[in-house]
Parts: sequence; C-alpha cells; structure tokens
Amino acid sequence: MSGRLKLAASFAICFLASSGIAFAQQQVIGAPPEALNMKLVGTSDLQARSAYQPTIHHQGDRWIAYIGHHGGSDEVPAPVNPHTGKAEPNGTSIVDVTDPSQPKYLRHLPGQEGKYEGGGAQMVRICDGKALPKGDRNAVYMLRTFGGKAHEIWNVADPTGPVLITRIAGLKDTHKSWWECDTGIAFLVSGAPDWRTRRMTQVYDLSDPAHPQKIRDFGLPGQEPGSTGAVPTELHGPISTGPSGNRVYFGYGTNKGGILQIVDREKLLNGPKEPTPDNLRSPEIARLTMSPFIGAHTTFPMPGMPIAEFARDKDGKTRDIVMIVNESILNECNEPRQMVWFADITVEKAPMMISSYTVPEASGTFCERGGRFGAHSSNESMAQVFYKKMAFISFFNAGVRALDIRDPYHPREVGYFIPSITAATDKRCVKIDGKDRCKVAIQTNNVETDARGYIYIVDRANTGLHILELTGPARAVAGLP
Amino acid sequence: MRRWPVIVVAAAALGALSCAVAYQHIVPRQDEQQGEQDGEPKGSWQEIAWSFPRDGWPAGRAFRCRGASCGDGIEVYVRPKIGFCNCDRGVADDDEVDRVADLDLLSEHFTPIEAGDVISVADMPGRSRAYDLEMTGGTRHAAIGIAVSRRCDLLVAVAHGKGDAMSVRRGALALLGETEMTRWMMAAMEGR
Repeated sequence: MSGRLKLAASFAICFLASSGIAFAQQQVIGAPPEALNMKLVGTSDLQARSAYQPTIHHQGDRWIAYIGHHGGSDEVPAPVNPHTGKAEPNGTSIVDVTDPSQPKYLRHLPGQEGKYEGGGAQMVRICDGKALPKGDRNAVYMLRTFGGKAHEIWNVADPTGPVLITRIAGLKDTHKSWWECDTGIAFLVSGAPDWRTRRMTQVYDLSDPAHPQKIRDFGLPGQEPGSTGAVPTELHGPISTGPSGNRVYFGYGTNKGGILQIVDREKLLNGPKEPTPDNLRSPEIARLTMSPFIGAHTTFPMPGMPIAEFARDKDGKTRDIVMIVNESILNECNEPRQMVWFADITVEKAPMMISSYTVPEASGTFCERGGRFGAHSSNESMAQVFYKKMAFISFFNAGVRALDIRDPYHPREVGYFIPSITAATDKRCVKIDGKDRCKVAIQTNNVETDARGYIYIVDRANTGLHILELTGPARAVAGLP
Repeated sequence: MRRWPVIVVAAAALGALSCAVAYQHIVPRQDEQQGEQDGEPKGSWQEIAWSFPRDGWPAGRAFRCRGASCGDGIEVYVRPKIGFCNCDRGVADDDEVDRVADLDLLSEHFTPIEAGDVISVADMPGRSRAYDLEMTGGTRHAAIGIAVSRRCDLLVAVAHGKGDAMSVRRGALALLGETEMTRWMMAAMEGR
C-alpha cells in the first residue's frame, strides 16, 4: 500500500469510527428506537409534561393509566393543556389505555405550582371503593401527592371528571407512598413539620377515604422531634405485603446512604405510637445498611421464590428476596453508579446482598449521551404475569431494561427499549468551565406493568408515555404466548 | 541534545513543586494580611489532611488554625455535596444543617446550642448553627455547622474547637471568606 493510500485509509477509518461513536452517543430526532425483545405498541405525549410515576388500573371494562408529573421547567413552568387551552401546572395525566395502540388522553388534573420537584403531583396510587373496607362501592379512589405540601384523594370513577374527596396538608415534603387496597392502610411518605428529616412515614387508615384516621408517625431513631445528633438517611418509599405477609419494606435514600428496613407491620400498626427512639425501634426486625455510594429508591419484596439451582437442597430451596433499586441523580455519570441489587432476606435478621445488575455503559456510551444514566425504579405491580419472573427497570438514558429474575442469584437482561427522542424532549445540562453544556436524551423515569403484560414507561424529559410489549425469548421467560 | 528533555522535565517538576509550596502558604498569608488590616492579630491557617474515612461524598479540604485568635485551635472541614440539596428551597431550616453539615464526621453526638443564622458564603445563601459536640473520650468541643447552596448543590463546612462557639464561628467564616477559598469553593461547586 502506498503512503498516500495508507493516509487516505487512515482518514477514512477515523471518520467512520468517529461518526459511529457520535451516533452511539447522541440521540437524534427521527432515529428509530433502540430495542431488543421489546416493541412499541402505542404512545401518548402526555402534553410534554415531565413524568414521574405511572399506575395502571383495571377500571370496570377499561384500563386507565394515571401518571404523576413533576413540576414544570424554567422554560415552561405550566404547559398549555390543549383540552382546555389554559396553562396548567403539571399534575396528573389520566389516559385510557384499553387499546394500548391507541391511548386516549382523558384529563389533566393540575398539581401544585412550582418547578421540577418543587411542584406537580409525582406519586399516584389507585384503590377501588369496593375493595376498601369502608369505601363507597361505586367510587374509584386516586391517592396522589400535591407537590410536597399535601396528599390528596380524588374519586376518579369518572376519569374525565375527578372529584376531590380529602386532603392531608401542612407537610414539608411528600413522595412515593404505598396504599393497601384490601385494608385501606396507607404508608404516606410525608414530612411532618416537627420531624428532623424531610421525608418520613405517616401511617394512616384510609379505609374510608373521606375520613382519614392517622395511626402514627414513623421513621428511623434520630429523625424524630427533639432528638439530637446525626440524622439518618431520609425515607424514599415503603412497600407493604399486607396482613398476610405482615412486613413493610422501607427504602431510605436515593443515591446515597441507602438503608433497607424490614418492619413487622402488626407491631408498626398496633405498637406504642409516641415517636420515642424505643417505640421507633420496636417494630424493626432488621435493617440492611448499604454502601454510602447508593440509595434505596425502591425495595420490592418477592417472598418465597423457588430457586431452581437449590431445588434438590433439603433446606433453603425457596428464598425471600427483596430487589433494591437505587436512583441516579446527577447527569452524565457524575456520581457512583446507581443500579439494581438483590438481597436474600430469608433469614431476616441477617439480610445479605446476593447479586446486582447494571446496564454496561459501553454498550451505548451512555455516560456521553446526556442526562442521567443509571437505575431509577422498578415496576411495582405484583400481578402474576411478571411477578417473580421478570422485572423492568427504568434506567434513564438507557431506557427500560427487562430482567429475567427467576434466579435472583443470577439476574439476566433479556430485553430493552430506548424510545426515540422527539421535539418535546427537554435538554439536560452539566457545567463545563462554569458554563452549561446541554444534551438531549431520553430519560426513562419510571416503569409499570399491567396484568395483561403491557409495560408502561414514562419520560422525565417530557417525551411522554410509551406502551411496550415483550417479543421473542423475553416473552417466553414470562410464559406469554 | 539528549539532555534537553531531562532539563525540561526537571524544570517542570521544580515549577510544580514551587507552585504547591506557594499554594500551601497562600491562605495563611492572606489571613495575616487581613489581620494586619484589622489591627487584630489573626491565627495562622494551615491546610491539613482530610482525616476521615471515605463516605458517600468525595473528601474535601481541611484546615487548622493556631494562634492568638484561634484559642486552642480551630479545625475546619469543607466540601461540596453535588446534587444533595432541594433545588427550589435551598437550605430551608436548621434541621437541614443538622442533617448535611458533616457534624457526624466528628461525632454522632451533637446538640444544637441555639437557633441558626442565615449566612452567605461565596455568594451562596444558607445557614449556620452552633453545636455542643461530644468527642471521643467525653471531651466537649464547640462546633459550627455551615450549609449553603446553589441550585441543587450544597457546600458544607464544619468547624470545631475547644474555645467558645462564637470564636469558632468567627474563625471559620473568616477562612471561608478568603479570596483563595472562595475561588476554590466556586470551582469545586462546578466539579472542577
């Protein structure tokens, strides 16, 4: 090869390589989604509102998606609702997803004024009135946060015309609560004004949503009013297994100082309620203190999992597992990796991490794509279609990842879907030499599933709702036809 | 000809060493100058090693002051905590200072002496609060927790000493107000 030819070949290789890398790093409007064993069924733009949490409810003969939103952005604090023609602070989107290929946007219910996490109505849970012990049998109740200041319950039996039932207000902050539909007991992530932490638990009896009955305040010793010294990590969210499981799994921390706390539900509800250190310690069975590098955004229990590898063992062939999902906070990998962890809590007094999962960064050069890269949350539906078989993890700019968790000692990715960006997708910035350097990328924030096997992901950067289904080998893992 | 690279490397190394030595002395010199301007003898600040084990946040910078105005000595520990603040409210109240200001690096046992104050450090608003700190072995120190914010990011500092809380506070804020410290804090908040 001549010298000139070598030079030309080198330039060509460099050009092709650099353009390939650039394509891998940066999403482009009009480019197809990136997917493996998952495909797009339908979308809704959610009026270009930043989305936190979707909850899917089988309501009569319809399937309704309730989607909580963060507050607006600096550029657009209150997007215009095309249905009303008015600028409305972000709140709750209500979408009919009965036909997932044709989602129908029914209603936007405004939330608290304010930007980003300072406004909106991020969290939403739904219970049928006929399931609640003292509910109106014709009602469908939506529990949502109202910014950080309050919890609200609405009757959404007519999803196009929600009616406010009650409000629990006067709080410092709120977040990802849990509501047991069969008992009405709610573990509300609140910020009681006199507690030393921004978020703690207020346990309520919401069996009659029109008349909330407070049971007690709860948190880690050191967070209670009047205490001194170091303040433990603030709560992110609990998940209860109800009276039958008699456990509540509390996750503390987002991207730092994570703690999984295992609590005896019966003792929590019926034990001494004054928030003294002893009374706060009393219902705790154990806690798993994680690395200070990671938090506990979601603590998803999966008790009694049969482990194929242990099938012939005389003891320990089933294990109680909690999947712990950290939350990535900082853009462009400016923090330790936030990922997914599996804890074996079969011996509750000695919970132990047994495995972990993360998206390989190099598989998409995700640290360079813009926005957050890392885990945020998992689906929380316990419907049989996926429970203890598959988990879906929102991973911000790496979209949603489908994991085969039948052997939680060896979780395995079997699919993923990274939606295309659109003109609505908002930028994410980092400081470089004192100036903002911004990129546009998908920011898949939360994921939920329904009993039919559809997967719903929502975008923090305003790209909307994507409804997905599994294909190929991933479908077989779930046992779907 | 072959000696040139050696000479260049040696010169660069010497230059770097000189810069490092000069840098270590910038803060004391500025402090002394300020003291002279005020007509009051000031203590001498020396940068010391960050002595705490790794936790959730990268290590920051640590300083010790000895001298007339520092009593038996004041230590200040300062570092950014990127992405750890409420983006809208900033450092909202004294409870937030209790939570974030790194007092627990010194001792798990600290009790606020009084309500905190609104302050500004490097043009960042926030709060400071005075504490009684129970050190290992039962000795007691006065401590000051400082937390200021810019958007979603925090800058925290904790200072302690055997003197009274007011002198610890005065000494810590004087250090944090130095031009060189301000420059470093601004850069650290931008991840530089």
